[in-house]
Amino acid sequence: MRKLHLGKLWMTAAALCLFSGTALSADTIKIGLMAPLTGSWASEGQEMKQVLELLAENLNAKGGVLGKQVVVVTEDDGGDPRTAALAAQRLATQDVPFSIGTYGSSVTEATQNIYNEAKIIQIANGSTAIRLTEKKLDNFFRTCPRDDEQAKVAVQTIEKLGYKNVAILHDNTTYAKGLAEEGKALIEKDGDKVVFFDALTPGERDYTAILTKLKEAKPDIVFFTGYYPEAGLLLRQKREMGWNVPFIGGDATNNPDLVKIAGQDAAEGFYFLSAPLPKDLPTEEAKAFLASFEKKYGAAPNSIYSVLAGDGFRVAIAAIEATKSTDFTKLADYLHKDLKNFPGLTGVISFDEKGDRVGEVYRVYKVNAEGAFILQN
Amino acid sequence: MEVFFQQVTNGLAVGGIYALIALGYTMVYGVLRLINFAHGDLFTMGGYLGLTLLTSFALTGRLGPLLGIIVLAIMVMGLVAIAGAALERAAYRPLRESPRLSAVVSALGASIFLQNAIMLIYGAKMMVYPQDILPKVAINLFGLYIPLVRIIILSASVIMMAGLYAFIQKTKVGAAIRAAAIDQGAARLMGINVDQVIMIVFLVGPGLGGVAGLMVGLLYGQVNFTMGWVYGLKAFTAAILGGIGNIPGAMVGGILLGLIEALGAAYISIAWKDAIAFLVLILILIIRPTGLLGERVAEKV
Repeated sequence: MRKLHLGKLWMTAAALCLFSGTALSADTIKIGLMAPLTGSWASEGQEMKQVLELLAENLNAKGGVLGKQVVVVTEDDGGDPRTAALAAQRLATQDVPFSIGTYGSSVTEATQNIYNEAKIIQIANGSTAIRLTEKKLDNFFRTCPRDDEQAKVAVQTIEKLGYKNVAILHDNTTYAKGLAEEGKALIEKDGDKVVFFDALTPGERDYTAILTKLKEAKPDIVFFTGYYPEAGLLLRQKREMGWNVPFIGGDATNNPDLVKIAGQDAAEGFYFLSAPLPKDLPTEEAKAFLASFEKKYGAAPNSIYSVLAGDGFRVAIAAIEATKSTDFTKLADYLHKDLKNFPGLTGVISFDEKGDRVGEVYRVYKVNAEGAFILQN
Repeated sequence: MEVFFQQVTNGLAVGGIYALIALGYTMVYGVLRLINFAHGDLFTMGGYLGLTLLTSFALTGRLGPLLGIIVLAIMVMGLVAIAGAALERAAYRPLRESPRLSAVVSALGASIFLQNAIMLIYGAKMMVYPQDILPKVAINLFGLYIPLVRIIILSASVIMMAGLYAFIQKTKVGAAIRAAAIDQGAARLMGINVDQVIMIVFLVGPGLGGVAGLMVGLLYGQVNFTMGWVYGLKAFTAAILGGIGNIPGAMVGGILLGLIEALGAAYISIAWKDAIAFLVLILILIIRPTGLLGERVAEKV
């Protein structure tokens, strides 16, 4: 008796859940957002949430999509793979056709299979690790570029500047080492020389021994693929040594603190690669969006990755609008095959069969005498 | 050959800072047989206090660069010395009669406490020293390019170490410290206030460590709350290399470690720099288990 009773209860509960689920989805469309609202990337995560909420607000003011209002459902991944897996599971139970995010590659990776099994389309905004799309999951897309594209743009820049002997320095992290090795292969393929290839220990203060050894290799340019604290110290100590070799850095050196650590005179002339900073986005959509963002929150967004999350949202809405459906297969097919040259905030967006964004996103920046980051052409 | 000498000067500058921090480890060990794990964080505190005092009093602006830095160093030394003595009073003295393991655990706890306190007060982001305090002049010596700042910092640490050595060897208080290091019980019987001696050790060691933190801030321009860990580890290694408990040993060990790192990076591999330094440490400890200058086991300080 008791058993039967419980069973009935479960069934009623399940039925209730189902009904309430369909009842809700009748007049709204939910878009999931998984973002690091806490933890070390909290500033990026908070901004992602602000961007998506503003976009949804603007969209709803114009009548929403397919005549329904759009609701953003946000879950915190804490910038941590374990927390992210729980966040993904919570989103998977909430009837969302899309989940936007997240920022860190290892965090995204922990959630890929959860979304894949739940048939939810994931559009990552900051996860640049190559392997994420090499798995060829049919539900995974990203609006940010991949690390190998960064190496390509770096090598193109070095060649355009006319440098033949390149020194490459990384810091043994997965990201920096991967970028360094990609860069080395490309440079050697083009017939130029890699005269130095080694790693420093991040977190130290004194890099003069490394700089002295670098100088001995007589490079025309040094490509440093690590993060901004070390880049700042390298620039500062290079200047103290009186050595005038140009430096180029990867997108992990894109931080205003770099100039503070190095000092303006030592940072001047430093090149680095980055997705365009929000202030340099060229399109009309972007300018209008940045203006409304500033109006609502008082300041322009700092991070390009939050704007890329916004592009993920806009692509998702465009897909729902075009297919007039929230069906997984139709939406995924549309994004893979039919979405071409969508006018995104960060430029035109198309996806290839792996779910990677087609086209070059990275730009080259140079630090000027005042320590400002200037976009190069 | 030029490169060799350039690397030697690089190693000396780093080694001088290691040596200054190593002194704090070795003095405390000499008297208490305790590894003061919080020493690295007192060093960090020196770096942060230096920044705060420098920017809030505009010392270099008012007194000129050289005098300003000297006054700043004395202020930092005093404040960190007081912090060190307070640490001893709060974390180590209540455990004086307990098993040595309790004191070690207390030291680890104090380290975590200090590191997080610094993070909560100053924030987790790294902080940057003002750029234009020290003149950016470099001296060209037989083709070697040596920034003036490095020469000043190396000579300042050598002067402080020489002063400490004279203090320990020539003064009455120094004799009391040496006596307490050999045998606390016997020292007490001779009328030495051992608690006071320990307090002095905890004033001097952290004071020097705090100045080292200031030097790192001035030389490299950035401080963050975890920097005490790397420097503490290296300085601790230097103290063992020279023979822990032995003051000249800490100086020799620090300089030697800096040189090994620079030359190892130059002639073997940059990525293997730390591995090389620790390999040398292991080899030296196999041949001389008491460290380079640690032979006179009877007289520790």
